[in-house]
Amino acid sequence: MFNRLIAIITAAVMALPAFAQPVVLESTYWEAQVANGEMDRAALRIPGTPLIVDLEAKGRMFGTQGGTLRTMVTRSKDVRQMVVYGYARLVGYDHNYALQPDILRDYEVEDQRKFTLHLRPGHRWSDGAPFTSADFEYWWKHVAQNEELSPNGPPEVMRSGGEIATVTFPDAYTVVIEFSLPNPVFLQSLAGASPPFIYRPAHYLKQFHVDFNTADAMAQMIRSKRVRGWAPLHNKLDNMYKFDNHQLPTLQPWMPVNAGGSSRQLFVRNPYFHRVDARGVQLPYIDVVELGIVGSGLVAAKSNAGESDLQARGLDFRDVSILKKGETDGAAYKTLLWANGAASQIAIYPNLNFADPIWRDVIRNPRFRRALSMGIDRRMINRALYFGLGTEGGMTALAQSPFFDASNLSKWAVYDPSTANAMLDEMGLNKRDKAGYRLLSDGRPMEFVIETAGERQEVENALAIITDTWRDIGIKLIMRPLDRDILRNRVFSGVTMASVWFGWDNGIPQAYTPPGYLAPTDQVFFAWPKWGQHHQTRGAAGEPVDMEPAQRLMDLNAAWAITDDEETRGKIWREMLGIHANQQYGIGILSEAPQPVVVSDRLRNVPELGKWAWDPGAHFGIHRVDEFYFADDPHAEVSQ
Amino acid sequence: MMFVRYAGYRLLTMLLTLAVVSVLIFIIINLPPGDYLSNQIAELRATGQAEGVAKAEFLRKEYALDRPLWQQYLIWVGAFPGPQGFSGLLQGDFGWSFEFDAPVAEIVGDALWLTVLVNLAAVLFVYLVALPLGVLAAARSSTWVDYTTAFVGYLGLATPNFLLALMLFYYGHKYLGLPIGGLMAPEFEGEPMSFEKVRSILVHLIVPTFVIGTSGAAGMMQRLRANMLDELSKPYVETGIAKGLAPTRLLTKYPLRMAFNPFVADIGNLLPAMVSGSVLVSVVLGLQTIGPALLTALKSQDQFLAAFVLMFVALLTLIGTMISDLLLVLLDPRIRYGAREG
Repeated sequence: MFNRLIAIITAAVMALPAFAQPVVLESTYWEAQVANGEMDRAALRIPGTPLIVDLEAKGRMFGTQGGTLRTMVTRSKDVRQMVVYGYARLVGYDHNYALQPDILRDYEVEDQRKFTLHLRPGHRWSDGAPFTSADFEYWWKHVAQNEELSPNGPPEVMRSGGEIATVTFPDAYTVVIEFSLPNPVFLQSLAGASPPFIYRPAHYLKQFHVDFNTADAMAQMIRSKRVRGWAPLHNKLDNMYKFDNHQLPTLQPWMPVNAGGSSRQLFVRNPYFHRVDARGVQLPYIDVVELGIVGSGLVAAKSNAGESDLQARGLDFRDVSILKKGETDGAAYKTLLWANGAASQIAIYPNLNFADPIWRDVIRNPRFRRALSMGIDRRMINRALYFGLGTEGGMTALAQSPFFDASNLSKWAVYDPSTANAMLDEMGLNKRDKAGYRLLSDGRPMEFVIETAGERQEVENALAIITDTWRDIGIKLIMRPLDRDILRNRVFSGVTMASVWFGWDNGIPQAYTPPGYLAPTDQVFFAWPKWGQHHQTRGAAGEPVDMEPAQRLMDLNAAWAITDDEETRGKIWREMLGIHANQQYGIGILSEAPQPVVVSDRLRNVPELGKWAWDPGAHFGIHRVDEFYFADDPHAEVSQ
Repeated sequence: MMFVRYAGYRLLTMLLTLAVVSVLIFIIINLPPGDYLSNQIAELRATGQAEGVAKAEFLRKEYALDRPLWQQYLIWVGAFPGPQGFSGLLQGDFGWSFEFDAPVAEIVGDALWLTVLVNLAAVLFVYLVALPLGVLAAARSSTWVDYTTAFVGYLGLATPNFLLALMLFYYGHKYLGLPIGGLMAPEFEGEPMSFEKVRSILVHLIVPTFVIGTSGAAGMMQRLRANMLDELSKPYVETGIAKGLAPTRLLTKYPLRMAFNPFVADIGNLLPAMVSGSVLVSVVLGLQTIGPALLTALKSQDQFLAAFVLMFVALLTLIGTMISDLLLVLLDPRIRYGAREG
């Protein structure tokens, strides 16, 4: 009966001529509030020009509103994952990784210098207050340039070549940001998983800001909130990414409500969200998201028991067996295997800035790094740890990237112990001890210490396999599991010989992707912590780059930033990837390892094959969780 | 009257011990080089983020981390004026957690009571299981009853707690519908006590109690059995049998009472073992006790949080020892209050 009703309504809706803008339907979740006048009708809540998502173009189905999505994180500060999953950004990546306006109605770019942002008239914050250029102005004038709130001045995204941008606000729905030099990374950073929020809900935050209150009122507020000053209070309350202040208005699809507990956090639909589907149903489809905070060891067990509707965080490939067991035991979910979007699942970083001079010379010799890479049996690791589902090869762009080159993947990355042995002999490392390990020039045996963050079992298993195959090339691998923070600090201070981490976060670069992470610009690339520091601190710490190919990467990175010609940028990217494959700065082992994703049988519109990536990708964000919906009976889908 | 005096004396020694423990805890926590803030400052410096450095320097001053260690200790305890005057443990200010960026009291809050609850339940479980099984195993020694209890007991001793926990969760959920992890259903958190909430807590307690308690119960059972066996071979038992005493009455009235002392004295050992053991179990089981907080605090050198949690665990231990001492005095007339006087 009900199904038929829906069918009739649907038919009626479909029979109407296609309007530019659909009639917006009321949502049941806020029915009571609308009925007693606390809230406007849905049609008035959305912006005048909402973002109408094209579900059909993506092969997705129209859904219905309602339901509670349960998912889990492992630390209470991971509440911020909801900003990541929600993925409402000024501009965002679509499913083809192309930038599209999202919160913005539109934007214009001139010479990569002048960015004109057009807001959606009628767009409102989650508390119903209008979202206008005043919110950008508040952030720019009273937060970013306030000496107490931002002692260091506006963040990096508002600077180009060290110079601060000029921002103007011609009218309520226009913001113009102008840089004196091109800032090619501006839009990409706005679309990031953890973006800089260049706007703030001014109407809410003004009450905590010294510019808008009398000294008396401020003093009283500081006393009643028991804080040390107004700036710490403002900083604590205005964090749009942490999502820890449920009173802070948001533009995300779901907004936090105070559930008063430490083991779960509730999020309810944002009544003023700016996206609707072509039938006039306001997104998100799902009413409530229940974010459970559980021990990290329990995510697999709880998923197995069907206690999560959508789960990838906290699950590893080794959990697949227990997840599949749950499926066959009748729990109502299926386990999808998505591909990891990092350039490498496991990569070894020999430290070019290692403190020991003899070892450093060896490590800096490209033949040594190539030999190490050729001494790894990637096939065996892939089969032993990932059932052969990963892609074996060195660290380079993944197949979805326009810069993918199969020869980069296999360069110096095919298991060949005899060539590796010959290369090491040529280097003069031909003396061996009784156990068959090579000796350094000062007579020490070559004990190659690799430090790990001690978090991922797969890393330790892979290193155990590599230990065996490196023995055949006369190198003794010693694994040293540490804690994540300790590892980072050791690497940054140069006392780590080699370490293991993921490959580059972004394995699918496009021409517009800034290639900074391929050049020695940041200490977090564990092969060159000191060079990275030198760049990051503008020479105050670390060491300058003193190797030719690395300097070339630096120059190419600079060259990329001053051009916006797609072809030149592509050429730069290819050359940089080529240098990395040839130099083996990071020795990749395999990529696209499967990431298990548990999806409830009732949850629809979840892609069968997705990418699990941080940036770009925002984990589930790029797959648009707001378009997922629940349907009880697989045959009761709202017909097209 | 004598008992009250003895109790007062024990309380005094307990407080003294606690003071000594607090010194030890503070020293040990400060043994690794650096502290949370200096580590953070080093990292911020290396990346050239001056704003963060300024804030961290401010916090270092604010929490007196730039002073000599002995002053830091006294300020922490509250016996020396810090930047805010006297404000330490004695004044009820437990300090600031840098990792969570909130006062320590706010973070541990409810967790303290849940920690006490979990460990009380486990102690109760140990005694309820060990007492009847230990006596039974001794009375029926070298029969299938003895062997079965011993076998189950050794299994409990030998299985790592976290493994036991995961197995119990899996099968408990599959066959009994028991919840996985946590100490109550999430919707009850922060709610006032109600019948439903108590029920939810009780159901959630089943697996953790079992996991934390099994090894303790197994050990205690074996000790009780051994003590009982010693007594059972003594002549007075034979006399009792010869006089025709009913077996149950004979057992409980004479040998059990004799074998009871170590059983009670064990509380002192049991409580610390379980409290420290339950820290890791809590992490694995996802219990909202202070265990997970302690682990994060120790890993990141969040010293005030770590120190407070360790103090709390020490306090529980000392209370356990005190209870066992007082109970012994009450139970066994052979123990006198002031043996030194006599």
